[in-house]
Amino acid sequence: MNIWNIAVKEFKSDLRDKRTLFLMLVFPIVLMLILGSALTNAFTSGLSVDGMKLLYKNEATAGELVQAWEGFAQAIGQEGVETTSVTEGADGVKEVKEDNATAYAVIRDSGIQFYGSSRHSIESNILQGMLTAFADQYNLAAAAYRTDPEAAGQILKQAGAQAGFVQETGLEADRKPGSMDYYALVMSTMIAFYAAMSASYLIRGERLRKTALRLSAAPLKKSELFLGKVIGNTLINVLCVMAVVLFSKFVFRADWGDHMGIVLLALLTEVILAISLGLAISFIFKESSSTAVLMIFAQVASFFGGAYFPLGELNGFMLAVANASPLYWINSGMMKVIYNGDVQAALPVIGLNVGIAAVLLVFSAITIRRREAL
Amino acid sequence: MQRMNLCTDIGASFFFTMRTTNPKWETGVGSVNVLEIRNLTKKFDDFIAVDNMSLNVREGEIFGFLGANGAGKSTTINMISSLLRITKGEIELLGKNIVKHSHFAKMNIGIVPQDLAIYEDMTAYENVKFFAGLYGLRGALLKERTEEALAFVGLGDKHKSLPKNFSGGMKRRLNIACAIAHRPKLIIMDEPTVGIDPHSRNYILNSVKQLNEMGCTIIYTSHYMEEVEEICTRIAIVDHGKIIAEGTKEQLKAIITDTKEIWIGVKTDLDLGASTLEELKQVQGVTSVRMEEQMIKIHSKAEVNNLGRILQQLIQDQVEIRTVEEQAPNLETVFLTLTGRNLRD
Repeated sequence: MNIWNIAVKEFKSDLRDKRTLFLMLVFPIVLMLILGSALTNAFTSGLSVDGMKLLYKNEATAGELVQAWEGFAQAIGQEGVETTSVTEGADGVKEVKEDNATAYAVIRDSGIQFYGSSRHSIESNILQGMLTAFADQYNLAAAAYRTDPEAAGQILKQAGAQAGFVQETGLEADRKPGSMDYYALVMSTMIAFYAAMSASYLIRGERLRKTALRLSAAPLKKSELFLGKVIGNTLINVLCVMAVVLFSKFVFRADWGDHMGIVLLALLTEVILAISLGLAISFIFKESSSTAVLMIFAQVASFFGGAYFPLGELNGFMLAVANASPLYWINSGMMKVIYNGDVQAALPVIGLNVGIAAVLLVFSAITIRRREAL
Repeated sequence: MQRMNLCTDIGASFFFTMRTTNPKWETGVGSVNVLEIRNLTKKFDDFIAVDNMSLNVREGEIFGFLGANGAGKSTTINMISSLLRITKGEIELLGKNIVKHSHFAKMNIGIVPQDLAIYEDMTAYENVKFFAGLYGLRGALLKERTEEALAFVGLGDKHKSLPKNFSGGMKRRLNIACAIAHRPKLIIMDEPTVGIDPHSRNYILNSVKQLNEMGCTIIYTSHYMEEVEEICTRIAIVDHGKIIAEGTKEQLKAIITDTKEIWIGVKTDLDLGASTLEELKQVQGVTSVRMEEQMIKIHSKAEVNNLGRILQQLIQDQVEIRTVEEQAPNLETVFLTLTGRNLRD
């Protein structure tokens, strides 16, 4: 029963601590908003291409080619390419140089002559690709005509009518997070890790407030005090993290994937890991120096966990350091769960969190038991 | 007056069980030992904080525990309260060893620490309720005892307030309420009036007396000798971890019948040179001289008639004398004589 008393007291005290609530709730949400909005472009993998203008001069005499070209021009027009035939006496190349068109093509019976704009290399490359596709199909039809005129007619018809000269095919099959999705995750895990800060104050705070004396004089076992503190602190921190996650999900529309349960479970284990780390450090280092140690560790762990910006592929020394950051393995694992649907990726994360937390909690429990006072 | 009535009303129910189970308390101090300390020693590495101390506190006593800073009284109190481990010796509470019967001992001791041990972010009611809850009180009984304790210290109408809005005296009273809600048989008060206004000090002293009248045994430490003299029935003086004297006020004062104290009032703005005080120390029979504000306080052997020589020395040094008094021995004199230093040193 004393465990429950301590846990409830701890929960209430933390709930009334405006500074802690600000750190746990407002801080991550504001950071999410700022970083998520400011770095939107850094997370966008697509490129918007529009306003392509193709000038052409059709000097072909072959009726099939003229007919096929007209069909082609109509088809690419439907895909957003504006095709314009140059008027007599106009210089298409000059028009491209003066940036009045993306590319200029001269269609002859012998082939297609293409002039692309160096200012719009991507757009002109796309147009070149389209014209190459058209030329290939026409050449194929010409070759087919010698053996099967009927099939050649069919090919030419397709060459003119076929849409989708550029097909969008993702290079990666996996979903990728937008900036808000990314920061919703990394801020939530970072703030879960910040539970270590308040945990370092759990027992130390009683000493500083002098209430340790009254607690020690009461018929209260150290183990009851220890467990009550851990439970109360875990509850308040989990609630804060959940509030941040739900806020990001419903207000910022962040993508948390289809396995919310496993994500929340991983976050719970992370909070327990953080609390056990905070407690252990408060026993290892003296009074205020434990706060400084934790602050430095949390900042380094946040950096290598990609809390401020994604670090990309790491290797060598950087990877070794990153692997020591709980936020690195947690964020990596959660990315796989959320964007690959790989639930299995959460298991090593949860296992590591729980395993390390257990070791640290046992260490703290033994230390507090050996101490004469709290 | 109104407060006293309130406390009496509450007190009647507050310690009713204790009174009926031990009628002897009706007449004051009993013969049963609530606390027995035998050959108690506490070492911190090589430093001996408490040195082979033995002591008994009887049922219904207000037992004064006097000692300068570092004398070992807080260490002793902390061992009684199970805050520190005992290096050697033993402590019994109501006949039971406090180490072997730790739970029993803790249930029957209430501690009012020198430092305020309250949560500033919890209301007065929540503070008392939380600490009382640790003693196994639950539900309606917990609520009742919490309200009683708050009313007893005069904070009944402030139960919803946060201690951070309290005055120093109110915080001290809350500190007491947190220690008594579980109705301990022995209450240890470690300087409960330090740093508070006279009104709050009087309130606390009255509360201590009232708790004692209700049947509680109290161990009381203070730096204010007049408090100890006013409320304590028996006193122990601790120095260098040992009890150097123990007894009633009268018994202690009787120890120093061979000493007298002379107080000489001098001109307010007088800046006495160190040489004058040194010269006074050289007067036959004088054992110590100190200057407190506008008063020269001299301890001297009682049998030596040296007042004339002392005054002559002051006149010679052109000190303007305002008053001359020979003080009856008090606890402060006793303490100074026995330890060679002031209680507040």
